[in-house]
Amino acid sequence: MLTSHLLPDAAFRALAAGAGPPATIRLLRDAQLSKHLMLLHGIADAAGAAGASAAGPAAFRAGYALLAELQATTAGGADWLLGLPHLGSWAHDCLIHVEQGSAADFAHFACLAAAAAIRGGIGFELDVPVREGRVLLPGLGFIRVAEDSAWIRLCCDGEQVTAGAHFRAGRQYLVPDDGSGGPVPQWSGTPLIRAVTDGLAWQVLLETGDSYLDRYTLPMAAGLPAEDVRHWRQRAQSAWQVLVRHHRWAAEALPDVVSVIVPLTPHNETDLVSVTTPAAFGAIATSWPPDPVTMAETLVHEGQHVKLCGLLDMVSLVTSGGEKVYAPWRQDPRPAGGLLQGVYAHLGIARFWNAQRHAETDSDDILRAQVHFARWRSMIDQAAQTLLRTDCLTPAGVRFVNLLRAQGQQLETEPLPGEAQEISRQAALDHLLTWQLRHVVIDTADVASVAAACRRGESVRGRTRPRTRIEADTRKVEASVRSRLLNMRYLAPARYRELCADGTLALSEADRLLVGGQAQAAVRAYRDEITASADPRPDAWIGLALALDLLPSSPLQRVFAAELPLMFEVHGCLGDRADPLDLASWFA
Amino acid sequence: MTSQEQAIKTLIPDLRNIPVDRLAELGSSALAHSIALYRERLKENGIPLSSFQARI
Repeated sequence: MLTSHLLPDAAFRALAAGAGPPATIRLLRDAQLSKHLMLLHGIADAAGAAGASAAGPAAFRAGYALLAELQATTAGGADWLLGLPHLGSWAHDCLIHVEQGSAADFAHFACLAAAAAIRGGIGFELDVPVREGRVLLPGLGFIRVAEDSAWIRLCCDGEQVTAGAHFRAGRQYLVPDDGSGGPVPQWSGTPLIRAVTDGLAWQVLLETGDSYLDRYTLPMAAGLPAEDVRHWRQRAQSAWQVLVRHHRWAAEALPDVVSVIVPLTPHNETDLVSVTTPAAFGAIATSWPPDPVTMAETLVHEGQHVKLCGLLDMVSLVTSGGEKVYAPWRQDPRPAGGLLQGVYAHLGIARFWNAQRHAETDSDDILRAQVHFARWRSMIDQAAQTLLRTDCLTPAGVRFVNLLRAQGQQLETEPLPGEAQEISRQAALDHLLTWQLRHVVIDTADVASVAAACRRGESVRGRTRPRTRIEADTRKVEASVRSRLLNMRYLAPARYRELCADGTLALSEADRLLVGGQAQAAVRAYRDEITASADPRPDAWIGLALALDLLPSSPLQRVFAAELPLMFEVHGCLGDRADPLDLASWFA
Repeated sequence: MTSQEQAIKTLIPDLRNIPVDRLAELGSSALAHSIALYRERLKENGIPLSSFQARI
């Protein structure tokens, strides 16, 4: 009788709390082995239906038979293969093709099984595909072959490996390249990083050779020169040190969570982009992290996604559909599933910065860590509430989010300096208002009705709220120099001071007053900008809200924070360049 | 049983101790059902193809 993987309640609670001790992560990994077996079985059915004579399905079946032999003869050999993110990534592609009725690359599985057999010293003879002059052995590396043929005979007698007539090597040489061995002719081992700090070790492959892991929003770096590999090794070692010394909870889980890093090529050299896919448990992708702390944060961030992807394979937490919503770390509206991933990642990020603020010694670095912590901890509860309102969570999802939310609330009890909280609050408000103006659509008739009531001087109280919906980029709101500068205050304080002193920045007078902390004068300047302009000025409305927020508490602040898109639309409807502060007073 | 001792029955069938060459013997059973469910989720979640495959 077939049973299911069981997840102890304590493990569920530990994961929901953002943690996950190694024993819990191993439960996720074990489930991935079964998931991959399940996918392979589905693919085997499709390969069987594809006909006995076709080369691809035949290679798949040979690989499948080799996997059966691995299961029967080697301890751990099959599990190594079934735990490879490379296998998951290929299996997803294969299954999608089967689903779509398009040509699936069945043959690649022969390469995967061959890699596991070579690693385990199991004899075999297989026909495997040659792609761009390479025989890929996922998780190990690739053999360069001169033959033009699309296929090659790959053999292993348990010790020696041959590929066609011109490649022969001992299997002990066909291993990932940890930088310690000499070159092996025609063999290119996948770069392997071994990071060790205080007796805690982490091994991770730097994968740029497996096309099936080229599945992220940015392209995989195409090969890495030896110098770049050396830099990645140094950076990973330094990041590992940060994690082991200051974030033990993350370091202890990481070896089971991240076994492959896919370096990405960003559009701009200075962009930092990191991604995880549910198709490849254990792999993360990132562009070059500019410093060890940033890499450590990226590992925590993406590690959270990997864990949640593993849990979502096991337990349904969220359903698809429903309106997209605000995520405090994204420019675009997100579905509930995306918000759940984001809030879970940011719980890890908040925990990271909470510890890191005590680890830093430079005043700028301390400020950066404090503001990151202030900003992301306050978003956990807010985003969790948004999620609970979506009605897209399953009962297990509601429980998960409530447990996660409690962690966020606990983090909010930590004391923080006022400056860090102020900078964080302003950055968060700027982000929220920009998002609202970009994506919140208000029913046109309802806006006209509110404008008419305003003209007549009627009270806004008791009126039915206008109907709203979320629609991506309903208004054009450019990313402003002002926003970048405000964020720079904590992300790069030295550069911020430099730019402020320089005085040549393309800021409006109102922006200059706001950035300079002259809130009252900035309010007047933004109001003048709005009333003097014949065109809508969303950037000035946001600036006005930010300037008001710096002043002592008033009803106008609440109106600007809660009703900005509506006021913006009503103002446009009123015409005659109405005073935005008068309009806000009417709303208040 | 207290909540601490409870375990959640997950969506993934435990296949760890079943040799792959015997998976077929499970036939149109719970395994087939699990695969169908997983394929459904794959479609719902819209996980894209790898860039390499998408180019082909």
